[in-house]
Amino acid sequence: MSNDAFGFSIDMTVRNEWRNVDLLRTSVQNCFTAVFADVDGCHAIAMVTGELLENALKYGDWVSGDRAMFRLRVHGQLNQVVEVSVQNPLKADDANGNTLVKAIEWINSFPKPEAAYRARMLQIAQNDEDESPSRLGLVRIAFEGNCRLAAKIVDGHVTVTAALDLSSSAAG
Amino acid sequence: MHNLQSGDLTIEVAEAPDGVMRCTWKGKSNERNPPEILKPWFEKLLASVGEKQGSIEMHFEKIEHFNSSTITALIRLIQICRKTNVKLVMVYDQSLKWQRLSFDALRVFEKNDDLFHLRFA
Repeated sequence: MSNDAFGFSIDMTVRNEWRNVDLLRTSVQNCFTAVFADVDGCHAIAMVTGELLENALKYGDWVSGDRAMFRLRVHGQLNQVVEVSVQNPLKADDANGNTLVKAIEWINSFPKPEAAYRARMLQIAQNDEDESPSRLGLVRIAFEGNCRLAAKIVDGHVTVTAALDLSSSAAG
Repeated sequence: MHNLQSGDLTIEVAEAPDGVMRCTWKGKSNERNPPEILKPWFEKLLASVGEKQGSIEMHFEKIEHFNSSTITALIRLIQICRKTNVKLVMVYDQSLKWQRLSFDALRVFEKNDDLFHLRFA
């Protein structure tokens, strides 16, 4: 098997505790560092994982029913596209789901993620009060992770997927 | 001025004879709401620098990771330094791609007023 055909998959259900964000982020970073020589690419995958997990914990529905878990999935192939996705429960009438979808549409409307990141930073600087959600994490994923973002809402769960192009990350 | 120690994050402060407060970030800034911890500490730092008519150098070369909420707190610090005429320099490790991306993006806040600069080590 050639290195380029090397596939990988992490798929787990996780308790919604804040300290798990850093545990999972560093675990993902360590796993990928053990396999790949591309340290920058491993850091990017870990950052994307951390930001998606933080969003899930901050804006998910952790009070309705037995919903104390969320799902992390990382899969792909070496030197190709890696997909990181996080799924979490949403309240039925929660505006966060639509805000999230609109934020991703806004990011994807820019020709380059760098322009979206710059625009979001300037918006944050112009506002005296901190907006919640700030959504800077999503633009950071798009820009620093060189990712294409997508979100879907099905059966009271939102899944955010970041597709990270490792081939261009390695070259960048 | 005391160091900041919170969770996985440490910011060590050292005052140089020329009034420069050198703040070295170590560890990870991964709290749920970093501005809640950083804002009051920044306020004390700014008060201390203001008394001495000094300036601030934030060193990030040794930090392992920070989340996007930390970046929001840094944007707020840049804004308040500019409003209060306190010179702020942020120093980062250009050899680390993630630091290069994070900090180069902050160049959007550099103006010709000499109050905010980015520098790599």
